[in-house]
Amino acid sequence: MKNTKLWITAAAVIFIAAAVWCVIILTKPRGDIVTITQDGKTLYTLDLGKEKDRLITVEYDGRENVIEIKDGRIHMLEADCPDHTCINTGWLEEVPIVCLPNKLAIEFADNENDAVAR
Amino acid sequence: MNAKKLTQLGLLTTVALIIFIVELRIPNLAPIPGIKLGLANIVTVYAVYRFTAKETALILYARILLGSIFGGNMLAMLYSLGGGTLCLLGMLFLRKVIDEKHIWVCSVLGAVLHNIGQISVAVAVMKTTAVISYLPFLLVSGCIAGVFTGLCAQILISRGRKAPKI
Amino acid sequence: MKKTFLSSVLVAIFLLTSCGKSENSSSSKDIKNSKSVFAMDTYITVTAYGEDTDKALKAAEDKITSLEKLWSVTDENSEIYAVNHSGGQTVGVSPETADLLDFALDMHNRTNGAFDISLYPVLTAWGFTTDEYRVPSDDEITALLENTGVDKINLDSQYVTIPADMQIDLGAVGKGYAGDLVAEELKSNGVKSALIDLGGNIQTVGTKPDGEKWKVGIRNPFGEGNFATLEIGECAVVTSGGYERYFVEDGVTYWHILDPKTGKPADSGIASVSVIGSEGRTCDALSTSLFVMGLDKSAELWKNSDDFEMIIVTSDGEIYITEGIADDFELSSNFAEPKVSVIGR
Repeated sequence: MKNTKLWITAAAVIFIAAAVWCVIILTKPRGDIVTITQDGKTLYTLDLGKEKDRLITVEYDGRENVIEIKDGRIHMLEADCPDHTCINTGWLEEVPIVCLPNKLAIEFADNENDAVAR
Repeated sequence: MNAKKLTQLGLLTTVALIIFIVELRIPNLAPIPGIKLGLANIVTVYAVYRFTAKETALILYARILLGSIFGGNMLAMLYSLGGGTLCLLGMLFLRKVIDEKHIWVCSVLGAVLHNIGQISVAVAVMKTTAVISYLPFLLVSGCIAGVFTGLCAQILISRGRKAPKI
Repeated sequence: MKKTFLSSVLVAIFLLTSCGKSENSSSSKDIKNSKSVFAMDTYITVTAYGEDTDKALKAAEDKITSLEKLWSVTDENSEIYAVNHSGGQTVGVSPETADLLDFALDMHNRTNGAFDISLYPVLTAWGFTTDEYRVPSDDEITALLENTGVDKINLDSQYVTIPADMQIDLGAVGKGYAGDLVAEELKSNGVKSALIDLGGNIQTVGTKPDGEKWKVGIRNPFGEGNFATLEIGECAVVTSGGYERYFVEDGVTYWHILDPKTGKPADSGIASVSVIGSEGRTCDALSTSLFVMGLDKSAELWKNSDDFEMIIVTSDGEIYITEGIADDFELSSNFAEPKVSVIGR
């Protein structure tokens, strides 16, 4: 019985920690720099503050993703994948836009610096 | 393995598969891949407490394999395999330390492991850590869904105990 | 039953591999590609932008590994090891090592002795090379200093002679020179945009792929994070400070940058020095020696030179920058209103 209480506590702690983590992600300040990465490689680093409205087409294994930049925002416009989760995510906010089948991710860059001299 | 056991396992796999396919038709509630109730896990949790480790593994993997084929999303299978395996191993351990009156706890922790497994596979496949920011959202929804599926399995088992053995 | 299970697993593996085979076939021009190596006591990351940079990165990695083999103090097969264990005999070295030694001797003169590659035994006595920190006695330091002195090193084209009881270490300049050579290697392999991070020594090739300047953060010597951002084109940025490696004993902090004259941690009132210039080797050597020289002498050296710019943070938290980079320098918002002075000619 004592053990069970331990496991219930563990579950509760995980739940609360996850909830706090969610809040941290949702309230994290972010800049204008967005990176588009595919299969571990950064394809584009964009400054949304300066980008003009345009479409970016990214190909993967014969399939295409179309990314739209409009009014300083970015989202997935079209995707050739079976699930359209990335399109449903909408405009890029705190949570990255990810296209699992095409290994594509759009996210805000953590750090605006390219490197740190230390 | 005798005919009776085979029938039981087959039946459970079928039930899990049907639940899985039906759930696929429900549109995603949140804009995050992987967030869902995971109702098919009721069967897995049930099996963990009623069958041997090997038998449970058979049900789980048969369901994942067939579910991915019927669902038409083979890539999703990778995530299900990663999550499912970690979840199964965890619950097989937890069933030794958590009694039948607290199956829901086992199910919640299983869901947590399932999410961690999914994200680990995603990080490996996508070669980006971007997906890690999905983890807390998956965990919160996973915990809630885990309580629900766990309670379902728990009720099933306690009713099953009272009913005459087939 | 076993067979059925096994075959279903096999089918699963087959299906998995068949859909996992999809290779990357992107056609974007500014693909970022990077490689990390552990060498010269630190992590070195080379990041190149372009269409096909795999070969260039491999060449850069090979260059780093080969330089490490030449300059390691501890590797028994290195040229520096051979020089240090020559027992006073003349040793022939590679053009790279000769070049670097020649440069190091020049720097010694240019900085009035603040830059000294013969301090290795003193550094070891303090434990900075072994991580077994201790404070050596004054007598011990005086005895060790007897055997130092760059003027005792004789370099005749590719032949080096040092006294039997002297030991040299190119640690304070090797990374900077390596940065220069790696940048050259990348360029000769057609790379037009790259960033080399040698454990915090930054060196760039060209600009960012979109033509913008690189943004380099400068580490806060008093705590976490960066205190400023610097925008640079093709050049090197090297920062030195007491925070990099230090230990505390009896409430006193001892850091790894030693004053060659006293054999003790340099106490010139500087918390960190960043040197910006076109050559990594100059920046690397100067960052250490300016830390030893202090603000006034550094400003004087800068006025008589045209190959570097600098950012100095004093122990009081005041920031001094030279006018050549004043326009590209921006304080971070989280650094609480420090005083910034621009040093002019």
